[in-house]
Amino acid sequence: MNPLKHNPFLNRQKLKSGRVMFLLVVFVSLSSWCYLAVGIETGAYVLVYPSNFGNRIQIPANNPTTKQGVYLGRMLFYENRLSAANTVSCGSCHHQDKAFTDGLAFSKGVDNVLTSRNSMSLANLLWARKFFWDGRADGLEEQAITPLTNPHEMGQSLDASAQKIGKIAAYPPLFKLVYGDSSITGDRIVKAIAQFERTLISANSRYDQYLRSAYQPTPDELKGMELFNNAPQPEKGIRGANCSHCHGGVKTYMELFHNNGLDSIPKDAGIAELTSLPADRGRFKVPTLRNIALTAPYMHDGRFKTLDQVLDHYSDHILESASLSSFLRGESNEPGGTSLKLQPLEKKQIIAFLNMLTDQDFIHNPDFADPHLLTSKNKKY
Amino acid sequence: MKKQLLIACIALLSFTAIPLLSQAQAAEKQATIKVSGEVSAPLTIDAAYLQKFTQTTVIRKDRDGKDHTYSGVIVSEILKNAGVTLGPELKGENLTKYLLVEASDGYQVIFALAELDKGYTDRAIILADQVDGKPLAPGDGPYRIIVQDEKKPARCIKQVTAMQIHFIK
Ligand code: HEC
Ligand code: HEC
Repeated sequence: MNPLKHNPFLNRQKLKSGRVMFLLVVFVSLSSWCYLAVGIETGAYVLVYPSNFGNRIQIPANNPTTKQGVYLGRMLFYENRLSAANTVSCGSCHHQDKAFTDGLAFSKGVDNVLTSRNSMSLANLLWARKFFWDGRADGLEEQAITPLTNPHEMGQSLDASAQKIGKIAAYPPLFKLVYGDSSITGDRIVKAIAQFERTLISANSRYDQYLRSAYQPTPDELKGMELFNNAPQPEKGIRGANCSHCHGGVKTYMELFHNNGLDSIPKDAGIAELTSLPADRGRFKVPTLRNIALTAPYMHDGRFKTLDQVLDHYSDHILESASLSSFLRGESNEPGGTSLKLQPLEKKQIIAFLNMLTDQDFIHNPDFADPHLLTSKNKKY
Repeated sequence: MKKQLLIACIALLSFTAIPLLSQAQAAEKQATIKVSGEVSAPLTIDAAYLQKFTQTTVIRKDRDGKDHTYSGVIVSEILKNAGVTLGPELKGENLTKYLLVEASDGYQVIFALAELDKGYTDRAIILADQVDGKPLAPGDGPYRIIVQDEKKPARCIKQVTAMQIHFIK
């Protein structure tokens, strides 16, 4: 991954918002670069989100979210020097313009070996309790240790990272500001990264606007939403796709784990690799559908390139196995049918609804962008 | 020379056989239920453990609209064995405790302790392992909570893997 690679989206956005803004950003970032601890806001970070998201948020008592902690976490999230060859950061596989995925089926880490699963979107993690496709990490702090140290991702021990970071002039004063003294440890690194990740809230898609009566969906979007939410009941003449049974709620995320019929004999056994239980075979996290139009390719192995393929799967190609979710078994829009059997127009309507989940503010929020990028850009121009 | 070949053969055999064996074992593995939280004796429940209790039956309709006979163990009996404050101890502060039941797909539901206690209600809430005399279907079992007379089936949680007792915060 080339750390200097810009994404065209961000560039276009910058040009549009004009030179004044650009200069302002450069000025602010340069001044924070020079004065560091001086220019950085401190104090409790107020996490802002709509009340319909609920307050079941996950913040460990020993890692409260602070403005200075989030600032440091963002620097570290985009810090290539946390990897063995100084080439990979969290941001290498989690790009903001793709809702923090990378557009690839599998991603390359420091050793150029591919990851075994598809990179995941990082949105609304504040509400998540279990992380990864198989839910094996219990918190964001614990989660961050894996990519940092995994030889196929960033491949550097926490101690080595702490030492390396300690030699970069910018960091010790920042750690002092966040933790009270300038000692740098692996624990402090993952805590700051987790603080930054908790701020990645996506709550202003057209769907959110619709929920607060600030957007009138098109007829196709409305129909798609209805199909998404209804269970099919052919005897009553109700057509549906029942997606909300697993992907429901305003966050389109309910922290469930299911086998959604991708394979009869899965190559990757998912949760069963951890539990050895037959019922867990091919079971994976039901991921958020927030910004789903931006996070192709889809599924734990990135097997589907488009949402059309995803809809074809749910409509016509669910594969039977003992661990197939019972929510997908015998659900059909035809009496006695074995698969959903959606019509082509219905698939398009569901996709129209899925497109409502794209949050432009989230992917363009300057607070989530790479803070190092602006300075490297300056060098280039 | 021959001996070496023999050893090599045995080694090769055992290398190929071991993973096969452990795979077979993995397939045999049975689900259990962990009981934890505000308990004096954490438990891991399996089929053999449940056999120690009196079996209770509850009849209720399933989504197919038909009556089914579920059998299993009254949940409060299991919790008493874990030292949960039920019976005479279920008063005062202990009334702010709840049971969180979790399924293998991550689904969770809660019951206030008083909903489970015979001193408060005759409604039976059981941990069922059989329906109509047969083990539960794989998608439902091996263990499922059955709530007598509750109109909606949403708390009849399937594939139970954990029961935790907590105080409200
Ligand atoms: C080499 C690419 C790569 C790098 C570098 C990387 N990730 Fe990931 N990330 C992935 C992949 C692949 C997954 C899914 C892995 C799995 O489930 O086993 C993932 C999953 C996650 C998840 C789980 C999200 C969820 O909903 O469960 C989080 C959080 C995350 N990464 C954060 C980070 C952080 C923080 C860093 C930097 C410390 C990082 N990632 C670096 C590829 C990467
Ligand atoms: C039984 C629960 C269940 C139902 C019902 C369900 N899904 Fe899924 N969905 C999942 C699971 C589990 C995954 C991840 C599977 C994997 O990668 O192995 C998933 C993945 C997806 C993905 C890919 C997400 C990503 O980030 O790669 C999309 C898109 C999706 N589902 C859309 C839908 C739509 C549209 C419907 C309704 C037609 C639907 N789902 C119904 C469980 C479900």
